[in-house]
Amino acid sequence: MKFRGKIIDVACLNHFSRVVTTISKLTKTCVLRLTPDNLFFVLSGKVANGGVSMWCELSQANFFDEYQIEGVSPEDNEICLEVAPENLSRALKTVQNAKAVKVKLTKKHCPCLTIAAELPTLSSIGRIVTHDVPVDVIPRRLWHEFKEPSMPDFDVSIFLPHLKTMKNVVDRMKNLSNFLVIEASQNGQMNLKIETDLVSVTTHFKDLGNPPWGRASQSRNPDTMAEARVDIRRLQQFLMGQQVQPSKAMCNIVHHKVVHLILLHEDMSLQYFIPAVVQSG
Amino acid sequence: MNCVLEVNCVKAFGKAIHALSRIGEDLWLLALRSVNSAHSAYACFVFSPMFFQHYSLGSNQDQGSEIIHCKLAMKSVLPLFRSLTSIERNVERCQITINTTSDRVKIMFICKHGLTKTHNLHFQESESLQAEFAADLCPNILKAPARLFSDMVIHFPLSQEEITLSTTPHRVSLRNYYEEGNDHLKFMYTEMSLHPDEFEHFQVGVESDITFCLKELRGFLAFAESHCLPVSVLFGAAGKPVCFFIEDMFLEATVVLATLPASDNRSPSHSPRCGEAVAPATTPQDVPAETEMIMSSKGSPIFQPPFPSLHYLESLVPEEDVASGAATPASSQICSLLFKALSSEQDDNLGAAHLSVLACYSDTEEAVEGETRRSASF
Repeated sequence: MKFRGKIIDVACLNHFSRVVTTISKLTKTCVLRLTPDNLFFVLSGKVANGGVSMWCELSQANFFDEYQIEGVSPEDNEICLEVAPENLSRALKTVQNAKAVKVKLTKKHCPCLTIAAELPTLSSIGRIVTHDVPVDVIPRRLWHEFKEPSMPDFDVSIFLPHLKTMKNVVDRMKNLSNFLVIEASQNGQMNLKIETDLVSVTTHFKDLGNPPWGRASQSRNPDTMAEARVDIRRLQQFLMGQQVQPSKAMCNIVHHKVVHLILLHEDMSLQYFIPAVVQSG
Repeated sequence: MNCVLEVNCVKAFGKAIHALSRIGEDLWLLALRSVNSAHSAYACFVFSPMFFQHYSLGSNQDQGSEIIHCKLAMKSVLPLFRSLTSIERNVERCQITINTTSDRVKIMFICKHGLTKTHNLHFQESESLQAEFAADLCPNILKAPARLFSDMVIHFPLSQEEITLSTTPHRVSLRNYYEEGNDHLKFMYTEMSLHPDEFEHFQVGVESDITFCLKELRGFLAFAESHCLPVSVLFGAAGKPVCFFIEDMFLEATVVLATLPASDNRSPSHSPRCGEAVAPATTPQDVPAETEMIMSSKGSPIFQPPFPSLHYLESLVPEEDVASGAATPASSQICSLLFKALSSEQDDNLGAAHLSVLACYSDTEEAVEGETRRSASF
C-alpha cells in the first residue's frame, strides 16, 4: 500500500486545512478513505457516536498537485485508515505558509500519515517540519461499513437558513432544553422548537425555498410539516464546526426518523445524519 | 523596601509574574524568583533599580543584611496581575512596600479617577533558592531572537510536556518526547529542524540531545518575545541543566531547567545539594533534579552570570572594581550588587561598604528621576 500527495498552492492548502478542521470539530476519530480520484472522511452511525453519521467527499484534483496511490490490491485500489482528524488539523495548521506540503503514508512506530513541509526563512536553507500522525489501517473486510450513504426517502427537503443565524438560535435554545424539534414543509417553512415544563420556544423561518428533487413534492400537501426530534448538542456541534457559509445548505427530514443535513461547497460536500430520538414520557 | 512602578513597567512586572507562575507555586520578591516543587525548574527575573520610578531599601540600615527574602504564594500574587489589559487601562502606578514588622507586603495600585487598590499579602521569610549554573563550562551556546524560538515551539501543542533539542554542528532540531510504554500509538510525533545560520550565535562544542520541560519555558519565551529580546540558550550533554537567559538595560531573566540523563532507564533522583528536602518524584513526567540548588542566604556561591554578559563577570571578580565604581556602567553595578548582597559572608569585610553603596545608589535614583522616564518605553 502506498500513498503520496503534494499540495503546492497556498489557497488549496488553506482550503484543505479548513475542511480537516471542520471534520475535527464533528468527531474525534473518523475513517479516511483514499481512492485514485477522491478523499472521503467517513463516520459510520454507531451507538458510540449517538448514532450520527457523516460523509465528506473531496475531489483530490481540487487540492493536490501530485497524487499517487497504490491501494490494497489492483481490484480494490483504495486505502482505508482510521485517524484522529484533530491531529491532522493541528499538523496542517503549522505548515500554512510552506512552499509545498507532502502527505505520505509511512510506517514509523506505527502506520502514520506523515505531513512534511519546508517552511521559508530569510536564509537560504529552510526549516523542515515533520508531523507523524498515527493511523490504523482498516482491513478490507470492514470496508462495507464505510460506504457512501444513500439519499433517504425523505418527507420534506428544504434549504437551510443562514448557518450563522441558525447557530445563534440553537445556541440559545441549548440552554433551555436537551432536545430540539426540527420541522419543515415543502413550501419553504421551517420551525425550530423546544419544549420543557416551564417554557417553550419556537423560531420560525419562512420562504427558505425547497430543492428541486421532484419525488416528495408531488404527492404531498405542501403545507404539511415533517418533523424530527433530535439531541440538540449534535445539531449544535454540526453548526459550530462550519467556518464558511457553503454554496448550498439543505436539510432532508424523514418524519420522526432522521435529519439529513447536506452542505455543498465549491470543493467539497458534507453530509451529516442525526437520528431522531423517541418522544419521552 | 519600597518601590514604585510606572504602568508599562507594571505590565512587564506582571508578565514576569505570569512567566514565573508556570514554574512554581511560590514567588520570592526582590529579584522575582520561583522554583518548581521537584526542583527541576528555576526561574529568576531581576529588575535593575532603574526599572522602578522609585526604589529604596528601607530607612534603618544596620550592619546586618537588610535584604529580606519574602516568599509569597503564587496564587496570592498572580491574580493581582492577571489581567494585563485592564492594568494597562486603569493603573497609573504601582507601589510595593515590604513591612518586616507585620510580615506583610503591600501592593498598591494607584488607578485612574482617584481609585486606589491596596492588597496586603502575608509573606514568609524564607531563604530563596538559587540555581547554580556554571555558564563558563557550557560547551554549547545558541542565541537568537525570541521570535525564532517561538516559531520553533509553535509546532508543538500546548499540552506537550517535554521536548528534545538536538544539536549538531550542521543542524538544530526539536522533537517531542513521549515516554516509552505510553500508549504512543495515539500520539502525533512532530519534529522540526533548522540550519545554524538562523541563529545570531551558534556554538556547538558537544553534539547533544537534551530533553527538558517545554511547559515551564513557554511563559518565559512569551515574555522575551513581547520585549523583542534575544534569548541565549546554554547547555551541555544530556543530564546537565539547560539555561535560558535574556537581558536588557533594565532587567535580566533566567530559567534553568533540568534535563533527562542520557540513559533511558530511570535512575533514582540525583539529590540536589540543598538544605531543604526535595519533593520525591511521583509523576511519570518528573525529570530527575539534576540542577544544583544552593541556599543563598549566607556565604553560598552566587549565580554565575552566563557567558554573554561579560560585564557581570567583571564586576564580580575583583574587589577593586566595586570600590572604583566608575569603570562599569551604573545599571550593571546595581544588578550585580543585588546578587552580591545575598551572599554576605563571603565578602564580610566589604559588607558595610556594600550596604552603604546600595543606599547611595538609591539616593542617586531620586535625583535622576527624570531619566527613569526612559523605563516607560519597553
